[in-house]
Amino acid sequence: MEKAIEVINLHKYFGKVKALNGLSFTVDPGEIYGLIGPNGAGKTTALRILATLIRPTSGSARIFGLDVEREANKVRRIIGYLPEEAGAYRNLSGTEYLEFIASFYFRNKREIKDAVYEAEEISGLGERLRDKIKTYSKGMIRRLLVARTLMIKPKLAILDEPTSGIDIIHAYHIRRVIKNYAKDYKVTVLLSSHNMFEVEFLCTRIAFINKGRILVEGSPEEIKTRYGARDLEEAFMEVARSA
Amino acid sequence: MPNALGNLIRKEAKDMLRDPKILLSMILMPLLMFPIMGAAISLSTSTVKEATRSVAMAIMKIDEGTISNQLVSSFKALNISLIEVKPSPIEEAIQNLRQTNITTLIIIPKGFTENITSGLKGELRIYSILRSISLSEGAKASVVNVPISIYERTLVRQAIAQAFPDRDPENVLDPIDVKNFVIFKGKLLNVSPQLLQGIFMSQSFGFPMVIMLLLISAMQIAATSISIEKEEKTLETLLTLPIGRISILAGKLAGSTIVAAAGAAASLIGINFYVASIFSFMPSTSIDLAEVGLHLSPLAYLLLGLTMFVAIISALALAICIAVYSENVREAQSLVSPLSLLVMLPSMILMFADIEALPVSLQTVLYLIPYTHVVLASKAAFMENYAVMLRSISYITMFTILILYVAARIFMTEKVVTARFSWRRKR
Repeated sequence: MEKAIEVINLHKYFGKVKALNGLSFTVDPGEIYGLIGPNGAGKTTALRILATLIRPTSGSARIFGLDVEREANKVRRIIGYLPEEAGAYRNLSGTEYLEFIASFYFRNKREIKDAVYEAEEISGLGERLRDKIKTYSKGMIRRLLVARTLMIKPKLAILDEPTSGIDIIHAYHIRRVIKNYAKDYKVTVLLSSHNMFEVEFLCTRIAFINKGRILVEGSPEEIKTRYGARDLEEAFMEVARSA
Repeated sequence: MPNALGNLIRKEAKDMLRDPKILLSMILMPLLMFPIMGAAISLSTSTVKEATRSVAMAIMKIDEGTISNQLVSSFKALNISLIEVKPSPIEEAIQNLRQTNITTLIIIPKGFTENITSGLKGELRIYSILRSISLSEGAKASVVNVPISIYERTLVRQAIAQAFPDRDPENVLDPIDVKNFVIFKGKLLNVSPQLLQGIFMSQSFGFPMVIMLLLISAMQIAATSISIEKEEKTLETLLTLPIGRISILAGKLAGSTIVAAAGAAASLIGINFYVASIFSFMPSTSIDLAEVGLHLSPLAYLLLGLTMFVAIISALALAICIAVYSENVREAQSLVSPLSLLVMLPSMILMFADIEALPVSLQTVLYLIPYTHVVLASKAAFMENYAVMLRSISYITMFTILILYVAARIFMTEKVVTARFSWRRKR
């Protein structure tokens, strides 16, 4: 079966700084795969390489069989990427922004309208979508961005800290949307998060990553059992100690 | 997707034109600032004119001769408000005048008439009371010179009429009648070189000024357009959309061109009002620019438009290449500011001088700067010197291609995301 993501021996240097050190993992279609690890572990670098933003120093990465370096334009057609620190065009309204993004993925107005409607549902922003984005709170912008990532129904959604800055109620809503999207539309999700509850709730498999390589990989249950931990936080601490 | 570039350009223009900072600094400021400046200058000029019209003078006639009386009559004939004061010591007279609104005291000393009638110089003493440091006070003080020189000319005419009764005094005063002819662009024109020089001055100031404004504002807009994506953290999303990097660059260039053009139009409208306001008090020349050949032929228009187009594209691309290294709008503006020199230096120098008249070293430097060629092309356009225009276009186009190549290379690599300018010295 064709893998949704296939990362092989990925290395990335920023000058003398080694960000990735032989990172390898695979993700099956429809899976929600989580990358967790301390700050500077290489999670965001890995996601940015897969999102075609930066190039690996060595190694290879393929998304649904497409090489992220050589076939970057084709990769961009099938992915939706939500960076950890992201904004939206302040002087556009929420609806204008969603229409702008949708116009790159859909040919006719009907499809664009449907996508925007979908985004309205995901974001829960309702009438506020007519207002300029500069009037939104940080949480509202994040909800808008999650919605624009998912409304295009990408084959692979790459989500870097999807609920960062969102309050408990809306984070709950967003997590359910991500889970349902993966299930209903067979969207594969690769996410990174510091929120262990979120990771445990969403991910079918997770990988602990530190210093640019994977230390442990498996389902949340497997990892908890392996380290005799009550939750992922405990398991994470255990992995960090033994690393 | 063919519509993708259109979407990008629309977004660029919409987002920037709705930005209050850009709207205020690039469009509203020039639109309002120049007319306000013009109105202020016009107001102060009319105040000066009004002040000189309402000026009141005092005259102390110590000499009672005929020429003294004629002088007073000539002042009155010119409707100048003149108050005669009795002879008194000068300190006392000035003290008295300071209580009034009179600004000038003319004293005709004893012997004034006698001196003039006997062929000597007659002396007039003029005291000006300045009540503040302003243009209008200075103008008031000089008003008195006009009636005096008019009367002086009358006296000279009378003397000539007495000495040469069979001659017209005007012919004695101005014995040579100069008739000016100018050959311009191979055409014989019946105008004075001074008049043409005035028009040349306005052309040589006007065009470089407009070019300078347009290119500098284009650079600032382009720098803002890329740095705002970094500042607002929208660049990463934009770069992962299914649209080619070259299209993103093209969208930025086109969007910035639209905004820069709107800014330039606002500046031009503003400057037009400014010029109209400050020159409103000057007598208008009846010279027809088309008749003297100071108009642009359709081909010159076309080539000038082409020159401006490639120059703007290169300025935008150059600004984008540099602004990529910034992390926010303020940093981008600082990084791009030195580029203004490349535009200002040739514009300022060529406003006053012909490039051929400059030292060879300076000529070489100027010829290397691509924006020199925009000014040269604008001057050549009026002379219908198409060879110079084509040479300028070729040079700017080559430079533009080079800069676009560099910009495209930056956009095709991860530099567009990771490039940072560091002020710290590398260790």
